[in-house]
Parts: sequence; structure tokens; C-alpha cells
Amino acid sequence: MDDLLADFVAETREMLEAIEGEVVAWEADPSDRARLDAIFRFVHTVKGNCGFFDFPRLEKLSHAAESALAEVRAGRRQPGAHLVNGVLAVIDRIAELVDAIEAGEEFVPNGDDRLIAALEPESEDDTLAPAPQEESTGGSKPARPANCVRSIRLPVELLDRLMSGVSDMVLARNDLARRLREAGNQPAIDGPFERLSAILDDVRQGVTQMRMQRIEHLYNALPRLVRDLSAELGKQVLIDLEGGEVELDREMIETIRDPLTHIIRNAIDHGIETPSERLAAGKREIGLLTISARQAGNRISLLVGDDGRGLDIDRIAAKAVANGLATKGEVEAMNREQKLELIFEAGLSTAEKVSGVSGRGVGMDVVRANLEKVGGSIDVDSRDGEGTTFHLQLPLTLSIIAGLIVGTSGRRFAVPRSYIEEIARGSSSALEIEHLGDTRFVTFRGTRVPCIEMSSVLGLDSEVSLEQGVFVFVRLAGGDLFALAVDRVLDNEDLVVKPLAPALMATGIYGGSVLLDDGNPILMLDIPNIAVGHGLVSQIRTRRSTAFDAAPGDTVTPAGQVVLFESFDGKRRAIRMEAVARIQTIARDAVSVEGDRCQALLDGAILPLAGLANELPERDAITVLRLSDGDSELLHAVAEIDNTADLDGDIVPVDGEDLLEGSTIVGGRQTGIVDVHALFARHARKLAPARRPTCRIPDGDGWARTFLAPLLEASGYRVANGVEDAPDITLLLDEADEPGEQGSHIVRLRSTPDAGPGGASSIYRYDRAALLAALESATGEA
Amino acid sequence: MGELLLMARIGGRRAAIPSAQVQSVVELDHIVPVPRAPGFVAGLTALRSRALTVIDARRALGIGHAPDEADGRAAVVEVEGHAYAILVDRVEDVVEAASEPERPDATLGEGWNRVSLGMVETAIGPAILVDIAAIVAGPDQAAKHAA
Repeated sequence: MDDLLADFVAETREMLEAIEGEVVAWEADPSDRARLDAIFRFVHTVKGNCGFFDFPRLEKLSHAAESALAEVRAGRRQPGAHLVNGVLAVIDRIAELVDAIEAGEEFVPNGDDRLIAALEPESEDDTLAPAPQEESTGGSKPARPANCVRSIRLPVELLDRLMSGVSDMVLARNDLARRLREAGNQPAIDGPFERLSAILDDVRQGVTQMRMQRIEHLYNALPRLVRDLSAELGKQVLIDLEGGEVELDREMIETIRDPLTHIIRNAIDHGIETPSERLAAGKREIGLLTISARQAGNRISLLVGDDGRGLDIDRIAAKAVANGLATKGEVEAMNREQKLELIFEAGLSTAEKVSGVSGRGVGMDVVRANLEKVGGSIDVDSRDGEGTTFHLQLPLTLSIIAGLIVGTSGRRFAVPRSYIEEIARGSSSALEIEHLGDTRFVTFRGTRVPCIEMSSVLGLDSEVSLEQGVFVFVRLAGGDLFALAVDRVLDNEDLVVKPLAPALMATGIYGGSVLLDDGNPILMLDIPNIAVGHGLVSQIRTRRSTAFDAAPGDTVTPAGQVVLFESFDGKRRAIRMEAVARIQTIARDAVSVEGDRCQALLDGAILPLAGLANELPERDAITVLRLSDGDSELLHAVAEIDNTADLDGDIVPVDGEDLLEGSTIVGGRQTGIVDVHALFARHARKLAPARRPTCRIPDGDGWARTFLAPLLEASGYRVANGVEDAPDITLLLDEADEPGEQGSHIVRLRSTPDAGPGGASSIYRYDRAALLAALESATGEA
Repeated sequence: MGELLLMARIGGRRAAIPSAQVQSVVELDHIVPVPRAPGFVAGLTALRSRALTVIDARRALGIGHAPDEADGRAAVVEVEGHAYAILVDRVEDVVEAASEPERPDATLGEGWNRVSLGMVETAIGPAILVDIAAIVAGPDQAAKHAA
């Protein structure tokens, strides 16, 4: 059974258990409004959840019960024993259907229509008491089949305890590791410790996964929901999902699933117009529904926006008066925001027509109730004719996020990576800093954004000047972009964010605390709050319009971004940004020329190096672009990195240059675009060896075991074990005799830097680059 | 009667913390300061896998002067789900209360009045029984509550 379905079954069953008591109480006192509401919410939620799946029987039953109960809630119908029985029968049937769904069986007994009919007021004399159990299983639940995947639900508190225990173990492990390192090599302890360490990492990962889920998990079902709903309603809707990598508590995911479904239903049903209406209003006929998730400090922020007609504020106000939620005078005294807030009141609906898709104004008050129950909040922003945006905020009880550690004034802070668009050095020529009034602005790639200095936010003195600092470009969930100037960027880490004490939350700068792997606590910055505190948030949400502009349909092909550089033969070249993993500098010594090919030693691996004409340039360090196709990597040497640019001109093929995609004009200059595909086709020999080649090292030699073996292991080779292990390469030291084995390549090392007589073919044993290159070429022949 | 109390010195004065509220007594070696935090928050410190907010009890009571013989020890407590380390001058002992807390007649001074739950007699002398939540709330918060 897939995860979603399992969740649905588990959740429905949990609700059924919770509601059992309510049902009995309601039966005793049908006028009890609180019980009625609880039961109503249950059937409403079941109906909502059915939207994810194809369960027509469940949907019909819950819709019928919901309709009947809505009548009672609206005061149009008195709850009597007859209705109570009818509703109870429906709830029982829902339970049976859920059991059948879990077992993966077709639930055979029919009679849903009879149950639904029994809810109708006109069937008042048709007595349906007691609840019709006779046709089902005779009252006793069938034993559940054992072969389906069962999930169990655990109290979150228990998982928290486990999680914190494991975190303690990790910290203790790190401490122990440090002490072991200090104590030196102790093979008897190191081995078992390594094992323990690896197991602990596994356990930690498992525990983390127990609690966390990517919001993607929730997103997965949405395109289908949107498709089905828009088809049903004769609308065209495109859904744009963002921030699927945001992880949050399973519990939170479950909490927001219903509210999200409700909001989406409402947006498609009421918000987004029909294609003809949209065209008449001068909009694209396809409506856009945008959902984006961000981690904002210790809260998860979820924006759900549509570009539909917006909420009709006058109608909402009129309805509120008509339904007795507020008096005419009260409504008139309200401002726009307060009127919009009315949609979260119970019993307000502006929909004239009740459809099976979205209901009768129950959705939003249930949404708010569910969110507030977990300490979340919801607010709405709507503009006439332009759309509606719901902003959901959820607390973060425990959440792992990718963070960037920045340093300012000698202190360390964490910034959630989800906000970060880009990082640039103040010294970069592409970046300009201007002072206008009391504010600083930075212009980077043609965009001018306000800049705030971290040190002034914190009231500290910065250690370095702005020009020497680093600018972190931050984009808020609303679309606003600004730069945060810090002294330095230190690290990337996965962070477990814990809530802060109220006294520290009150500063408005921090969103949570984080324990680094070295055991030190640091604070995570609350970026949105800092932005608000510095007046950097505009009220107009610009994101929607930009997203709309980028919507598919335009014939313009997306312009690619390229890195511009000067090649070693003095030509101006560009390479597509997607292929560039990073820019690195390598020492000249790390480069070796083998035949007609260059290769370089980088991070313990030998990578092919393109861009050099088989001769090494006269400089100590060479800048290289590290290119990756996802599996393998190669390097491209550049004489100088110029800038990045958008490819907007035509690309003209160039004859006779098989390593160029073509030529184009960038910034008024002719630029050759490097054909990454051809580059990889030529150089990517076997970058990811399927098997690690085996090396035999001189037996019983202390140096070989202590110095050579670790180098080999680190470079992707395996050191042969015992005589039976047939090696691909045999390493010999000095004058040692060659073994008689076949099919093994010999690499001879010598102890002295100078090659003695007859030693021309040997390699000095500390010439790491040459040694690795020789191994590489030996493996290539093997 | 008989309640166990953690006896500590805050600003040179003897204070008693109900030991049922104290999870442990730790020695703080490294405190990470928090810029822009209120003065009574000394910073953050790590205790095993938890980050504790360090409250300087002297500053929380509005006692400015430095202690004569601080030992850098702190009582670890939990208030409303958040873990704190209450930094005191030094921790003396754990003793049994010899009396119910009594409101002392004389005023103790503004800071002490705010956190005092009364005076208790113990075997090592009288002490002011302090309200942990009031210390953690700090002078400003307490002022707000009073308003």
C-alpha cells in the first residue's frame, strides 16, 4: 500500500476512535452543539481526504452526512433520533470501508443509497433504528489480514526522546573521536570504534527519518488533485510547487494536509475563473496556483496563491451580516484586512452554489481551527481581479534544515539556506556598493538591492570592511531580495533547530538555536524578522507576477546562464553554468601531462584536465572549472574568469572547432561556447570505475604499509590482501625482484629523489602526482 | 516541611531553589554570548545535546556588582519547555527546609521582592526561596506582568 493511502487509513481510523465518544454523547443529547461540530468536522475531513483518492463510495457517504449535519448547524433542521441513527450508520459504514481499503479488498455489501436516503428529512417515518449492522459482519470486526504493510503510530514525545538520546550519543561519539585522535593510532580500539560510529550514523539517520518528512510527500498528490478538480469544474489550472525539500515533522505534514486541500479546492472552485472569463479579463486562460514552502526561522511558512478573481470583500461583509456574525455597524467599522479575516469565521460562505468540490463555508474555519490547534496561524491577502494568497505559518518543533554558517565580528551564526539566492565577495568586480542616504545598496549583475550589515543588526563592530566581506543575497518568501553583509562564510551544515527561550525570541533577530557538530551552540538568524525590522519587506507580493511571467506558453526558449572566461590560448569562451560544479584553484605541481592528455590531482582524485594545450602555463596556480555531469567530473583550465552572463543571442555553429557548441555575442564580444557534451565524450574515459583496482604493495615493508597503503586507499585503489589476491598493479620498491605473476602491471618506486642508473622508469616514492598518474595509466592498460 | 532545597549564593546573599525543579548542577565553561539579548541573558551553552539559555541570576535580580567568590556553577532548570542554566555565585549545599516559606516583614529590595517566594529556615541558616520562573523572566518581563 502506498504511503499516502496508509496515512489516510491510519488517520481516518484514529479519527474514528477519537470520535467514538463524541458519537455516543451526541446520541444522548442531539442538541449538543460542540459534539455536532466535532462529528461534522470528521465527515468533512473524510470527504476532503477522499479528494486525494478515488473512493466514490466514501465521498458520497461523507458528503451526504455532511449535508445533513450542515442543515442542522444552520438551524434549518432539528436533530432527532432518526438523524442520529442515520449519521451513526454512515460513520459505521465509513469504518468498514476503511478496513476494506486497508486490506486492499473490494467492500461488497451494498446499501449505501439506503444509508444516504435515511439521512433525508422526508424519510422521517422510515425507522432505521438500530443502526443497520445486520448486513455487514454481524458486529464483530473482521480480523485484518496480516500480509499488508502495517504502520504504527507512536507518540511524538517518544520519538523526541529517542532523537535527543541519539543526538547525545553523536556528541559523545565526536568527543571520543577527538580523544582517540589525540591519543594516536590504536588499531585495537580504532576498528571497533569506526564500526560503532558507522552504526550510530545509521541509527541517527533512521531516527531522523522517523520524525521528518519532506513536504514533497504532501506535494506529490497535489497535481492530481488539481487536475481532477479543474477538469470537473471546467477550468484550466497549472500548479507550481516550490520548496519541496523543506523537511518538517510528520505530524505537521498531517496537520497541514487537510487545510491545504481545502484551500486548493476553494482556490480552484471560487478563485480561479473559467477560461473564457479569464480571457475577457485580459488574463492567460490557464490559471496559476502557486504553493511554496520555506523555513522561516523556527516556523515553516507556506504560501498558497492563485491568480484568480480575488475575494469579494463586499460580499463577504454582506454575508457576515446576513449570517449574524457581525452587525452592519461593526462591519462598516472594519478595515479591509478585518473584512478579509471574516472568511475564517464559522458559518460564512459566499458561494451561491453548493458543489461537491468545495463546500458551504465550512472549510476556512476548520482550516484555522486545525492550524491553531498546533500553534500555527493563517492569514489572507487578496487583490481584486489579481488573486488571493493564503499565508500559513507553522511552528517548528523539530526540523532539520540546510544552513549556512556565517561569521561576523568573531561570532558564528546560521542562515537557513532556503533563503539564500547567491553569495558574492565584496571584492568581486561584478559587485558595486553605493551609499544612498542612510542605506547601503549593492548592485550585482544589474540588480540593485538594499544591503544590511550583519554587524549592525547585532550591534557589534565588524572585523572587516564591506569590501572585504561577503554578501549573502537573501530572498524572502514574499519575493523581496536583499543583501546581508557578513565578514565571512564558514560552512554548510545540516542543522537541527531548537526553539529559543522567550527572552531571546523577543530580540526579533533569532529564530532558533543550533548545536554544531563540535558541540557549540550557535543562533539561527530569523531572516524575515530582520528584514521586517529594517523595513525591507514590501506589502505587495511580487512573486506571483514573476511566476506568471515565467509560466510556460511563451515561445521564447529559456536563456541559459554561462560562465565567461579567457582561455589559455587567449580566446574568449563561455561554458554553461549547469555543468559547472565549482571553481577551484590547483597548484601547478598537481598537473601532469601524459601523452596528449593533461590530468590533475584534486581532492585525492585524478581528473582529466581540458583547456591546456599540453603544456603547463608559467604560473604557480591554475584556476579550473570543475565540471560535472552528475556521475563523472573533469576539469577545464581557464586563464581568467571574467563573469557570468545570460545567453540571449543566437548561437552560430563554428566550423572546424569540434569542442565548441557554437559562437555567440555576449556583452558585445564574440564568444565561443564550450561544447560540454563533446568535452565529456572526449575526456571522460572511465571516471567512475566500476571496481577498484587492486595494488600489491611490498610485503613486510613498514614504509609501504604506513605511507603507501593509506595513499592508495584514499585514491580509490584497493590494497591486496595476502598472496591469493591477484593484483592489477604491483608496486615494487627500489631493486626488488619482479614477481612471476601474469597480468599485473609493475610500478617501481625508488627511495632517492634522483634517478640512479637504470632508474629512469622508476618514480620517487614521495612524488605523489607522478605515482598516482603512473597508477592511473597502469589501470588504463589493465 | 522537609522539602529539599538547593542552597546557593546570588550576589553574596543566600538563596534557596526547590531542588525538585533543578535537573542538575553544572559547571559552565563556555558561554556563547548572544548579541542584542537582554542583559540578564548571559548567552547559550551546550549541555550534552541541549542548548541551554544561561541566565545570570545576579543581573536578573538587578544586582550589579560582581560576586566575590564565583565558582561558575549553574542550576539547570526547565521553564515552560525551555531549558535554562541559572548562573549563581556558587552552589553551597542541598538541605532540607526546616520551615514553611514565610513572607518576611522587611522588604528585601526590588529585585529580591520580585523573585521571592518567602523566607525559609534551614540547618545552615535562613534563605530566600526563589521563584525560578520569575528569575528566568528577567526584570523587564516581570515589570510587564506587574503592569
